[in-house]
Amino acid sequence: MAEAHQTLLKNRLRNKVTLQTDGKILTGRDIAIATLLGAEEWGVATAALIVEGCIMMRKCHLNTCPVGVATQNPELRNLFTGDPDHVVNLFRFLAEELREIMAELGFRSVNEMVGRADFLQVDQNLDHWKMKKIDFSPILAFDNQLSQTGRFKQVSQDLDIEKVLDRQLIKKSYPALKNLIPVKLESEITNVDRSVGTMLSNEISKRFGSKGLPDDFIYCKLTGSAGQSFGAFLTNGVTLELEGESNDYFGKGLSGGKLIVYPPRNRVFKAEENIIIGNVAFYGGTIGEAFINGRAGERFAVRNSGVKAVVEGIGDHGCEYMTGGRIIVLGPTGKNFGAGMSGGIAYILDADGDFEKKCNTGMISLEQPEEEDFQTILDLTQKHVKYTGSEVGTSIVKSWDDYKKQFIKVIPHDYKAVLEQQKLEKVTA
Amino acid sequence: MGKADGFLHIGRELPQSRPPQERIGDYKEIYEDFSAEKAAEQAARCMDCGVPFCHNGCPLGNNIPEFNDAVYEQNWKMAYDILRSTNNFPEFTGRICPAPCESSCVLSINKPAVTIENIEKEIIEKAFEEGWVKAQAPQNRTGREVAIVGSGPAGLAAAAQLNKAGHHVTVFEKDDRIGGLLRYGIPDFKMEKWVIDRRMELMKQEGITFKTGVNVGKDISAIELRNNFDAILLCTGSIVPRDLLIPGRDLDGIHYAMEYLTQQNKTVAGDQIDAAVKLDAVGKHVVVIGGGDTGSDCVGTANRQGAISVTQFQYRTAPPEKRKKSNPWPEWPMVMTTSSSHEEGCDRNWSTLTKEFVADESGKVKGLRVVDLEWVSPTEYLEITDSERIIPCDLALIAIGYAHPLKEGLLDYLGVDLSKKGNIEVKDWQTNVPGVFAAGDVHRGQSLVVWAISEGREAARAVDVYLERNSLLERKDHTRLMVH
Repeated sequence: MAEAHQTLLKNRLRNKVTLQTDGKILTGRDIAIATLLGAEEWGVATAALIVEGCIMMRKCHLNTCPVGVATQNPELRNLFTGDPDHVVNLFRFLAEELREIMAELGFRSVNEMVGRADFLQVDQNLDHWKMKKIDFSPILAFDNQLSQTGRFKQVSQDLDIEKVLDRQLIKKSYPALKNLIPVKLESEITNVDRSVGTMLSNEISKRFGSKGLPDDFIYCKLTGSAGQSFGAFLTNGVTLELEGESNDYFGKGLSGGKLIVYPPRNRVFKAEENIIIGNVAFYGGTIGEAFINGRAGERFAVRNSGVKAVVEGIGDHGCEYMTGGRIIVLGPTGKNFGAGMSGGIAYILDADGDFEKKCNTGMISLEQPEEEDFQTILDLTQKHVKYTGSEVGTSIVKSWDDYKKQFIKVIPHDYKAVLEQQKLEKVTA
Repeated sequence: MGKADGFLHIGRELPQSRPPQERIGDYKEIYEDFSAEKAAEQAARCMDCGVPFCHNGCPLGNNIPEFNDAVYEQNWKMAYDILRSTNNFPEFTGRICPAPCESSCVLSINKPAVTIENIEKEIIEKAFEEGWVKAQAPQNRTGREVAIVGSGPAGLAAAAQLNKAGHHVTVFEKDDRIGGLLRYGIPDFKMEKWVIDRRMELMKQEGITFKTGVNVGKDISAIELRNNFDAILLCTGSIVPRDLLIPGRDLDGIHYAMEYLTQQNKTVAGDQIDAAVKLDAVGKHVVVIGGGDTGSDCVGTANRQGAISVTQFQYRTAPPEKRKKSNPWPEWPMVMTTSSSHEEGCDRNWSTLTKEFVADESGKVKGLRVVDLEWVSPTEYLEITDSERIIPCDLALIAIGYAHPLKEGLLDYLGVDLSKKGNIEVKDWQTNVPGVFAAGDVHRGQSLVVWAISEGREAARAVDVYLERNSLLERKDHTRLMVH
């Protein structure tokens, strides 16, 4: 906090930014210290949880919280004894204590107090051996001269929201939006264009609800290097075809749209050996399809709950916490694959035979795909070739009988049990 | 943690106790055996809490989730190693501890606690059975002589620790056998005394000298003690009982609980008690005044001796069935408890004031005048009109606790400072007299066996530091045990 505050101040930027801090904020005194070091907002999490009955079991991930705070088990949830009023009380007391300290120091407002590190001093009575060689002076540094532009947020930033790429896409999509005439758009794109397709999707949702428009109704061909969150929350009826590459959060929260990405046609490198989209693609995606002619970064399809995607290689932590959807990886994967994966299926082309070592097998099992699975893989790979012209995809489809043996099916234990149960119910019904 | 959701599927279960009618016919322990599989199943209920409150509930800081896990895995040797790293005498605490660990067990917030105490007993008995508990004499001797006065749990724990550190320890005991209240205060139906003998044998083999029948201050002078030992640790307990000063107190047939319990413990051990002083409840109406653990022990003993009736009085109100809001987890719960002795038969009375002992023609007590109370505040009560009555009483036992240590004699001779309550004051376990230390009830005031063991261990480390400037002995926040 001290470093962020002081650096912004030195660069005359502090008045344009709100600084927030958290981490062990438990008392009004903690808030006062954070404020004097430069924070004007604070996050209080653990303390509020404790007030609600949390006893720091550190079992939030096991669904066994014995006081019903962090569990989905109805029997355990019944044991929850928290009350919203307790939280209200906590914050009332925090505010009260902060006000007492402010009164003691002579501050009329929090803004006046922000960054006044000159009101802090090191307690000389602490004689812990670890304290002996610590120099606190850079943390407690205060230079009144530097405060000319303001020590707290006073000026709002101009975000140029009127000039974003989606405004043009929306304008060009009017025939589709107003008269239900399919449109084909083309545009250049650069990495300052973020969340492309999101505002367009919002316009569609406002008019047509979550069912959106028919497939490929608004077809948009983009060329260049896309910024963060390309195709975020893209809805039914929109297809974004990108020739180039894309930054992190590709297809975040994908909501029915289709994403296609391939490297420039005039490239001199092999698509399948290069990363084409950044980290954390399809975070929280719920529905939709995507075809990626190249590799993706880390945390591919984390928290995906329904997106079907084909990709030619991924980094570490693939399919982490995934709960649904189908992921096909036609190339190498990083370590810790499938950590916390509780649903959906992934199919991995394990050409090197070392995929098992890269898995986090806590919740998943590795199996031979069955006929039904092969059909899914083949269908999606054929689409992948059709949309992107993928060379890897082409050879897989061509020599399918050789390649199909190399696929491994990744399915969570519990998900598998549910699917089998559903099958059984269908048969008996 | 062996089983993440064990507590959701397994209920709390303890060994069966023998039926009351059967067990009051003898002085044997009341619990049946428990199988290793059952113990492992119970250990599976432990949740391996992120913040294990049981560590704090236990005065010894026992590493409870760790030994529970080892028991669940049926790795009894590891469980024993974990347990003995913090507790010298699990066979005592596994039997007679009121288990503050269990009342601070996180599971006990809304479900019955893990059976920590019984698991502890299973571990140590398994360890004895397998021959893992062996005398381990120190490899090197320091040449220092340490005197420990008093052989109760504090003195014994300190002796074991200081001997481990290589000092030569002599334990002085004024009674005829080693153990203090552990031996003469606790009835055999709660802990049979071979349990103490078994441990004493090991401690003797480890090189500790025990001197019984020696009253320090009388049989040996304080000066002699100081001259012959490099350090002295006082573990003489809080032995002056609280008295009930009401009319008729000096009648025949009114005794302190400890006099009564000691006699019975000696009788069970095979001693002959002189008929002139022998206290026997057979054919008598027995009244126990005081509602604590000692009162319960008197109830159990009187039933075994064949009392016609056993009545217990407590002047406080009956505690609630469940915790009050002002007494939340993980505090010690002030709730109604029914001891095994109460199950054996007892008329329990609360909010009753004992006003006067009534004599027969020969000057023996024959009745007790009592009156019911209405408490109007935590400190004030009113006597309920017309509730005064005389109940039959041929033997009255006073079990209302201990006031303070005995000042006259050794403590006076040594000149140690006492607190207002009359307990020895210490700074890092050392009294105002250099080289003289104190631990257990003599310092703490009347308390639990587990606290005595804890204080004995901590004080032993302080004595070791005093003698050697440094100590490798464990202390509560520092264990040398490595669990892999």
